[in-house]
Amino acid sequence: MPQRLVVVGGGTGGTLTANILGAKLRDRVRSGDAEVTLIGDGFRHSFQPANLDIAFKGSRPDSHDRDETSLLRKEVSFIPDPAAKIDLANRVVTTTSGGPHEYDYLVIATGAEAAPETIPGLKEGSLNFHTGPQNAARIWEAVRDFKKGRIGVLVGGVPHKCPPSPDEALFMLDEYFRRRGIRGDVELSLVTPYPRPYPAAKIADVVEPLFQEKGIKTVPFFNLESVDPGAKKAFSLEGDEFGYDLLIAVPPHRGAKVIRDLGFGDEEGWIPTDRGNMRVKGFDDAYAIGDATDIPVSKSGVVAHLESKVAALNVLADIDGSATENEYNGRINCPMEVGSRRAIFVSATYKDPPSDQAPSMVKYAMKRGFGMIYWSALSGSWEWMMDAYFGPTSEPSTKAAGQSKA
Amino acid sequence: MSTAGSRKVVDSRGSFCPGPITDLFKAYRASNVGDEIELWATDPAARADVQAWADKSGNQVMEAAQDGDHLKIVVRIAKKGR
Repeated sequence: MPQRLVVVGGGTGGTLTANILGAKLRDRVRSGDAEVTLIGDGFRHSFQPANLDIAFKGSRPDSHDRDETSLLRKEVSFIPDPAAKIDLANRVVTTTSGGPHEYDYLVIATGAEAAPETIPGLKEGSLNFHTGPQNAARIWEAVRDFKKGRIGVLVGGVPHKCPPSPDEALFMLDEYFRRRGIRGDVELSLVTPYPRPYPAAKIADVVEPLFQEKGIKTVPFFNLESVDPGAKKAFSLEGDEFGYDLLIAVPPHRGAKVIRDLGFGDEEGWIPTDRGNMRVKGFDDAYAIGDATDIPVSKSGVVAHLESKVAALNVLADIDGSATENEYNGRINCPMEVGSRRAIFVSATYKDPPSDQAPSMVKYAMKRGFGMIYWSALSGSWEWMMDAYFGPTSEPSTKAAGQSKA
Repeated sequence: MSTAGSRKVVDSRGSFCPGPITDLFKAYRASNVGDEIELWATDPAARADVQAWADKSGNQVMEAAQDGDHLKIVVRIAKKGR
């Protein structure tokens, strides 16, 4: 009987995990001693950071996705059929239209879902760039036609994907309207639950003077309660209101439906996950990575990438009966464009919070460079460069007693 | 309106800013007027952030003190919504 490794979720984390496992187990897959299966929602794989370029720079919405099968190593069997049920107790994943898939080890990479419908009026009263490239393109249409008035970029719930994206949206809007020569006719505001224009204080210290210099306002402590699309007003739990002409919202996020349906995530559907070895809490044969987990780090592609490697190496250690495993150190590295072709990187680990820094053109070039190698990085072939850039992102540790079934 | 509510403990130990206040906001969203939220945090910045939010929003910080290895902040929900 071969070792059956199943990965659920065909985004950044799931694709990379499957490819790392396929590469490391190449000979065993060829000899029939191992199977690597990726269960994804469909054939299209989108580069999600490009949604900012689509929404605020007019990039074409159909130019940032690829066929998932073109991204996978030949050792990986791909099933383009969404997972309908994950039975952790009996080690079975059932897809929407296919049969059950039994596994020996499972990696869950089902991601996060932006859900504007969970706030009254938000779906009808706002546009967003967190629900796919086509919806991001609707923002570009609205921005292109906008001539005068008040635009709010509103953080409608936390946590959400890509923490820098609301600030980046405002920097991009500022630059766009300056180029059109109508910046003085457009009021730009960040509406946020947090006390400052970026959640982490040291990064806010960088953003705040830039916002002041560019005339971008911050409306703090605004936990969104509802939106009245007719009156064009948003209301907060704190009792405040924000009137707008165009509302661009970051919708509240939650775990994927297959996780929420199971009830093993928390109330928002985030999977309880060990923040070191990436195992689903209470299970020695299931891992969770990326946006799907309840780990208090940024929900971002870089995190999914780094956690993929930890989970894949730990699955391999499990298979080989190793007494050691890898522990993720909480490394995040989120780029943020701040205008004028400059950027910063929000970097931290569990032990070290983000530090302040000067925006630079080099960091902007690095951000764009990471975007250019995204597709080939999913193959796992750029891990040497990731290791060189990030340094250690995990540490070996001795496996706790009872953590291996080998 | 009754002001007698429940108390919910929110454990944010080990997470940096904005972890604790993010967890507080999640609990605030699920709370009712009269409830108390007991936030545990190891990030010292949590004290000032929570106090600033309470001052702005009309809620009350009942207690903010070191309790063993963590900061214990008790917030009474006095106001929520319009």
